[in-house]
Amino acid sequence: MRQYTIIALFLTFLQLPAMAGGQERTLTDDLGHVHILKHPPQRIVSLAPNITEILFALGLEEKIVGVTRYCNYPQQAQKKERIGGMVDLDLEKVISLQPDLVIAFRGNPLRLIRRLKNLQLSVFVLEQGTTLESVFSLIERIGLVTHREKAAASLVDGLNKDYKRVLNRLSSVKYAPKVYINIHGKGLWTCGRDSFLNDLVHKAKGFNIAGETPRAWIAYNLEEIIHQDPEYIIVITKSQKDFTEIKEWFTQEAPLGSTQAIREKNIYYLDEDLITRPGPRIFRAFEQLSRILHPALFRNLR
Amino acid sequence: MNAQKKRLQLLSVLLLLLMVGLYFSMTKGSVETSFANLLDFLIHSDQTHAKIFIQLRLARALLAFLVGASLSLSGAILQGYFQNPMAGPFVVGVSSGASFGAVLALFLGLNFSLFGFSLQSVFAFGSGFAIVSLVYLLSQKKGIFKVETLLLTGIAAGALASSLTSFLIFFKSESFEQAVFWLLGSFQLAEWSQIRVVFFYLILSFFLSQWYAKDMNLLILGDETAQSLGCSVNRVRKIFLAVSTLLAASSVSVSGIIGFVGLIVPHWTRMLIGPDHRYLFVYSSLSGGIFLMFCDLLARTSLPGSELPIGIITAIVGAPFFIYLLNKQR
Repeated sequence: MRQYTIIALFLTFLQLPAMAGGQERTLTDDLGHVHILKHPPQRIVSLAPNITEILFALGLEEKIVGVTRYCNYPQQAQKKERIGGMVDLDLEKVISLQPDLVIAFRGNPLRLIRRLKNLQLSVFVLEQGTTLESVFSLIERIGLVTHREKAAASLVDGLNKDYKRVLNRLSSVKYAPKVYINIHGKGLWTCGRDSFLNDLVHKAKGFNIAGETPRAWIAYNLEEIIHQDPEYIIVITKSQKDFTEIKEWFTQEAPLGSTQAIREKNIYYLDEDLITRPGPRIFRAFEQLSRILHPALFRNLR
Repeated sequence: MNAQKKRLQLLSVLLLLLMVGLYFSMTKGSVETSFANLLDFLIHSDQTHAKIFIQLRLARALLAFLVGASLSLSGAILQGYFQNPMAGPFVVGVSSGASFGAVLALFLGLNFSLFGFSLQSVFAFGSGFAIVSLVYLLSQKKGIFKVETLLLTGIAAGALASSLTSFLIFFKSESFEQAVFWLLGSFQLAEWSQIRVVFFYLILSFFLSQWYAKDMNLLILGDETAQSLGCSVNRVRKIFLAVSTLLAASSVSVSGIIGFVGLIVPHWTRMLIGPDHRYLFVYSSLSGGIFLMFCDLLARTSLPGSELPIGIITAIVGAPFFIYLLNKQR
């Protein structure tokens, strides 16, 4: 009898690692690097604000040891150790934090990622998708690499419900109004065909006037905007205050007075952090844009 | 004899500075470390400190030193070659040319190497060499160099190369990080493999330039006099032009364009020890290395939590010096 107990105990010990959080798993990141993960990561460094937001949303607050200086959401992220910017990363700081997983996002230069790998860090690289739905797979893959697939699945589920709800409302839309999206302040930067923002506008049943240009981010041309005559101008800025300034510039200084958007005062603000980060909050931005472009469909809603 | 004493004095000062520079490079950084930490690490090394001290700080300091030495040697050669203290790899346009070549290789996706020679540095060398040859041909009239033409063609050719670089980056890259790196330089991602490459080119160039240093002294007297004194002017000129371009190209391909080092350091060295190239080459290399090592120390420690492109620092020091030189020449 005692023998059996010992054997049983022994077997239980063998099982322990599996019980403690899952089995060994092999994953391939977006640069094609194969990662073999033996146990859930305990010290995670995030190299981009959207990654940080996803990690927090998956309940990994305790495991995050370092974030970039741009990671300002949620509030608790600001208490984490700063490891520099997405481009001018402080390598010493990263090393000193002894991370067992670094999650990078393209936007982090390739040279930087290569350097981190040469320092024997485990770097999982995720590519920025070109569609709104790619945020789902982003969350799921971060869930896998951090052994939080259940949390990831329920997060995706919730977000997908919100997303579908908005899509349903928009399903009756026949006409997509012409939209000009302005990012980065006064410089007339906008999103072209290869950006996920273009997809977001498209899904919100808007027609991105720069959507034919075959690049992600482009410096647009004033004449071209006048020629295309957008019905809506969406200004993406850090704060309402910046928006007021840029709105002033658009309505008074820039010769856009002839466009429908300016004539009908259809110039709106969207929060930069919300809409430019492919993370959980992007669906809020999606709903906001949909409401701006199709207010009638959302009238009887909060 | 007096000159020799002066050189020895300078040498001891430089060696002292080198030690000080290395010490600060090893102990200063965003992670707080002290001399005790360093000693402790040397006795029983742990992974984290090994990475910080050896793979990050030492690698960076050494690469900065080697690039500074390469650029200064390149500048010393060019100044002798054009017989003008205004010359330098940045001013003559070699750096910008090399940077264009390196970016072009990246743009074409030629990211592999053969026998340790990366195609990127071959491209860098090629386009650097093209620019310097162009400047050489245009600024020469009947065997005489006109300073104004040299400077103007160098600046124009350099600007052309830089804007082509920017164009490629703007067209291809998803961020402006690349532009900042290639146009203002950085040692942020220094690693040992780069050190090996730059070291190899520097040693090769150093021995070649030292071998022909006497001939360079003769060239200063004018090509005809040099020829009559037994110097095969054409061959020597070709070798020097190739060596200076090689140095600039290997530097640029690991650290981007770092301006003004190759201009001010050789000039300053000449003021201290005189124009004899047998010594000028050695001392320029050494002081250039130390200068850039200190500049990099500033680049990575002056803004806490962030980093300055090193080209900004060398330009802040170098540009006023350049203006001073121009003013003095007039």
